Amino acid sequence: MSRDLALVWVAEAAVFALVIAGILAERPWALGAAGGALAAAGALVRWAPGLRTALARAFARRRGAALGCGVVLALALPLALRSSPYWTFVATLALLYVTIGQGLNLQIGTAGVINLAGAAFAGLGGYSVGLLTVAAGWPSWLAVLVGPWVAVAVGAILFVPILKTRGHYLALVTIAFVFIFNILMNNLEFTGGPQGIKNIPTLHLFGYAFTTRPVLAGVELPAHANFYYAALVVAGLTTWVLRRLHDSWLGLALNTLRDDEIAARCSGVAVARGKLLAFSIGNFFIGLGGAVYAVIVGFVSPPDFDFGYSLVMLSVIIIGGVDSIPGVILGACLLVPLPERFRFLHEYRLLLYGVVIVVMLLYRPRGLWPAQVRRYR
Amino acid sequence: MALDGVDVAVAEGETVGVIGPNGSGKTTLFNALTGLYAPAGGEIVFRGRRLAGLEAHAIARLGIARTFQASRLCLDLSVFDNILIGMHAGRRTGLVDFVVRRRRFLGEIRAALERASHLLALFNRDLPSRGFERVGQLPQIDRRRVEICRALAAAPTLLLLDEPSAGMNPEETAELMRDLRIVREEMPGLSVVIIEHDMFVIEGVSQRVVAFNYGRKIAEGSFAAVAAHGEVRAAYLGTEAVGA
Repeated sequence: MSRDLALVWVAEAAVFALVIAGILAERPWALGAAGGALAAAGALVRWAPGLRTALARAFARRRGAALGCGVVLALALPLALRSSPYWTFVATLALLYVTIGQGLNLQIGTAGVINLAGAAFAGLGGYSVGLLTVAAGWPSWLAVLVGPWVAVAVGAILFVPILKTRGHYLALVTIAFVFIFNILMNNLEFTGGPQGIKNIPTLHLFGYAFTTRPVLAGVELPAHANFYYAALVVAGLTTWVLRRLHDSWLGLALNTLRDDEIAARCSGVAVARGKLLAFSIGNFFIGLGGAVYAVIVGFVSPPDFDFGYSLVMLSVIIIGGVDSIPGVILGACLLVPLPERFRFLHEYRLLLYGVVIVVMLLYRPRGLWPAQVRRYR
Repeated sequence: MALDGVDVAVAEGETVGVIGPNGSGKTTLFNALTGLYAPAGGEIVFRGRRLAGLEAHAIARLGIARTFQASRLCLDLSVFDNILIGMHAGRRTGLVDFVVRRRRFLGEIRAALERASHLLALFNRDLPSRGFERVGQLPQIDRRRVEICRALAAAPTLLLLDEPSAGMNPEETAELMRDLRIVREEMPGLSVVIIEHDMFVIEGVSQRVVAFNYGRKIAEGSFAAVAAHGEVRAAYLGTEAVGA
């Protein structure tokens, strides 16, 4: 049994070390070496059946340890990245995408409610924080708590009639909604027009300002590490809540109405109510991601919440695994940092991005970490 | 297909067979009963309550469960999940229990899983151990059983079976009849209405038979009486064959 434990820790630590090496590699050859080593490790697991079953068994038996090890490594990440505030920020962004992705996954993955307005609901959270702090003078933490409810309220009021329709009407209307949101933000006076809202005050919690550089285990970290840890707590809580909702009567009812609406209705599922609930809960967490983004970056403007970001959010789910909660984490951790890593490819990286999605849809339509059967644990 | 002047009553604990040629309105009757179609007129009364105008999920919660002619299972979900959805309406725990008071929810779901296992074991003793497999991996006969289990899971007072033997070979049909007899024994108070084309099944399971044609009820009575009824024979075989 302790062999299982060792296997879990070694596997997670190895992946962590290789990812850090890949991120911090300055020269192309070093990046190539780190990437090659990761690919080799993946291939080894893929084509060495003995190792594969041993790993699978170890992770199945030691779920708690695997999770604990993951948490420890996530906490240690800013230490490993301390030389680079930029990458600490990218990691923070990835965590916000985890938060947003989990919310969106409840809608798209679990309930089949295709929401392509993720960027607009994140924007509603972000702009609410901007307005509440800068114009109304609220403290940032309070604004972050209230912002997501604006996304929920707008979603519930505007989309109730459309949630009752079947097919792809909702998807079309949500696309329209992102563009309307952008046009409004660009043209409304009180949201700052194209300039957006600047100078959103940073977070202060119990007298601790998030702009001070934290010291962890005797090592001074960049100030961005504060936000990393805040985003980690938010992403962790979000994942925890949504995992429990997924493995519940709610997740079951939403899956059923997604797969067969008539069977769901004849089993006593109130379909319209279920969809509205999924849509609202999802929008809460999407809005939360946007709200936290606003206090981290310190300003919001229309291009931060345009349709392209809706597509990135959708890709997180498709690549990670539709309706898969660990898949969303994996998808966000791949999709946010990787394009940054390949910035030297300039315009071509968008091409690469498209190729990756097409390949995924062709060969792994269920995603890199497919949804498992509900176990109610 | 419209129904016209259909008058069918089902007593508690009774099994009523519904026969009639394709397009005679049998499934339409079920769809009207379960609220999938809104009737333009007439009355459906279930244990003293009017059903016309109620939504499908509300009718289901009153105790009417059904199966479908073409399977309507969620093939990507587990066997257990497909049955648990039948118990969803009777849940006692809510959002707060799912997230914070998890134990309460898990206690309830454990009892529900046990009930699902019990229902599966009635029909096939090997099925409970496959409960966490996806339904799509089961053979056709077991899928039909899961669908019946889903309907029974809601602890209904009226069970509507829409041509359960559709697409089955004779051996499977025999197994199905055995399954239906088990339902009968296990739930003596349950009223069952079964649509069937297989007269062997109808004769074997129903106490009373109703025959439909062109949306009208053309005969009602024991299987033998209905099978001998002139209009029924004409509907199935054509007037010339009967006349000759």
